[in-house]
Amino acid sequence: MTSPVTAGSATGSIYDLGYRGYEGPRLGRAFAIRSLFTHSLRSTYGLGRTTRAKLAPWFLLVFAVLPAISIIAALVLVGRFGGQISDIIGANSPIRYDTMFSVLSGAAIIALFCAAQAPELFGRDQRFGILSLYFARALRRTDYTLARMLGFAMAVLILYLLPQLVLFLGRVLLATDVVAAFQRDVPSIPPVIAEGILVALLYGGLSMVVSAYTPRRAYAVAGIIALFTIPGIITGIVTGLGSSTAGDLLTLISPGFILERTNALLFGVAGDFDTTFVSLPDWAYFAAVIVGIVGSFGICIRRFQTINV
Amino acid sequence: MPLISARALTKRYPGGVTALDGLTVDIDRGIVGLVGSNGAGKSTLIKILLGLIDATAGEATVFDLDVRTRGTDIRQFVGYMPEHDCLPPDASATDVVAHLALMSGLPRTAARERTAEVLRHVGLYEERYRAIGGYSTGMKQRVKLAQALVHDPRLLLLDEPTNGLDPAGRDEMLELIHRTGTEFGIATIVASHLLGEIERVCTFLVAIEGGRLLRAAPLGSFTEQTGFLAVEIGDRVKVDDAGKAELLLPAERGAAALAERLAADGLTASVDGRAVVITMSDARPYDLVRDTVADLGLPLVRMEQRRHRLEDLFRDAPDGDGASAAGPPAVSPPPAPTAPPASSDPPGASPS
Repeated sequence: MTSPVTAGSATGSIYDLGYRGYEGPRLGRAFAIRSLFTHSLRSTYGLGRTTRAKLAPWFLLVFAVLPAISIIAALVLVGRFGGQISDIIGANSPIRYDTMFSVLSGAAIIALFCAAQAPELFGRDQRFGILSLYFARALRRTDYTLARMLGFAMAVLILYLLPQLVLFLGRVLLATDVVAAFQRDVPSIPPVIAEGILVALLYGGLSMVVSAYTPRRAYAVAGIIALFTIPGIITGIVTGLGSSTAGDLLTLISPGFILERTNALLFGVAGDFDTTFVSLPDWAYFAAVIVGIVGSFGICIRRFQTINV
Repeated sequence: MPLISARALTKRYPGGVTALDGLTVDIDRGIVGLVGSNGAGKSTLIKILLGLIDATAGEATVFDLDVRTRGTDIRQFVGYMPEHDCLPPDASATDVVAHLALMSGLPRTAARERTAEVLRHVGLYEERYRAIGGYSTGMKQRVKLAQALVHDPRLLLLDEPTNGLDPAGRDEMLELIHRTGTEFGIATIVASHLLGEIERVCTFLVAIEGGRLLRAAPLGSFTEQTGFLAVEIGDRVKVDDAGKAELLLPAERGAAALAERLAADGLTASVDGRAVVITMSDARPYDLVRDTVADLGLPLVRMEQRRHRLEDLFRDAPDGDGASAAGPPAVSPPPAPTAPPASSDPPGASPS
């Protein structure tokens, strides 16, 4: 056996500076889960990572807020030049709380955000073999899966709610009677948040399923975009052709479509979409959203329960 | 209570591969070498102890906790260094290790402080702020060790820690493991298929083959009792002014004389060509040998430890007491501590 370097020798003393025991608190599993949730949220926006990792999410976040900012800017201009403010914020305005989902999904901002960022979590952890380090710590496999998924869903929720918040602040703070405007807009808050949570969980959940099974980033990106666009195209074609039971049922597979209908249900309005030939009730779409969320979380949990590390 | 206890532990993978086949072993504190060829079941055992995979049958405890039900409690106090690459190339060592410290339940401030300390301990300084993608294999292995140590575990599980390292890197890694295990008192299990490495740092060996226990015994118990000291003697010559050498005493006769003197002093010594082979017991007769050689005026070429190859011991003595061992003596690579300046000759080769 080689003799160990004795303490106090040249190399020994360098190493000796380092290691000490740790007697402080160990916060355990719950803390680890919370930390992983925060880490997932932060990494999705590139925080604590390289500048390159920040580009895509921040670019998309700015794009998501632009419609709300433009309507607020219009509000300011109209107010200054004595126009009718109600034209801007009334029912005829294209950008309202209840149309925000259509605006964002029409520009594919949420889908692009998910496609760009979901592979950064599940895909990255698998690609570089980091999973075994997580599973060897104070976490269970399901803890890891849920913390990652909810952290990502939180990031999507922020993407959805930030433009709504800008819109809300603009509408309330720029009004001549702030209190009245506040009272007018408060009833919109619950449906905005409810829709945001559903959007975040469904888009986040589905894109995490793809990235859980597709460690290669490029394939995951393509897969997520396909998942969010192809069913919508199919649904559009089928519902455009005419009324049919098959067509009705097919509308349940498009994430965008079912969220639109759920949005309409939550706000008690008709959406901006063509439903002439669709005869399913709104609650069927709400149920489809719930099935999609539960299903995607279930699939991911199962995936990481059984994956070899 | 043993640190680790496995009872009839069996793991069959889908597809019919049996990685562990009724393994029963108790492992105590210390630096324990887990040896076996590739596919013997070393990694599988480590992963079951960590709760990374479930055993097909049998049971195992770590810190007296059942690995199936108390996984998170166990893993808070266990550090694991996997065999494969496990580091993201785009993050810095500091970021990765600090993040994993949080995952072990350390509070944020403590995680940062421990990260700095532990990276310094493994010998990473300014480069710890650079992306891991630019690291050498040796530096990556150090980061892997650091992340296993960052939460000050009671038990370290190291799976092939010297994988991919050059000889100097291996020495440094083994040195680091030795220091961590002995000076900081962290119980360590080092899985390796390289006996020559493992015997340099371990105090206890667990050998498995084909998923079964071959033998578990303290390393010292058989290396001390079955070790040999080979003292190689040169020809005594006289060189005259013209540079002509005159043979005064052939090495063989010198060796015979030495063996005789040593036997008279109570050592078991026999002549083997130009060398005297002394059977070593607990007492190490280095001083006596040196003095006797000097006394006889013999040219000493070298002294080196010889012992049974560990493979032979594991094969021939499955009884587990570590005392008896048969088989021809073979030369082990590491030279004895008192040997003259280390020779890089292959073991047993005669110097000219």
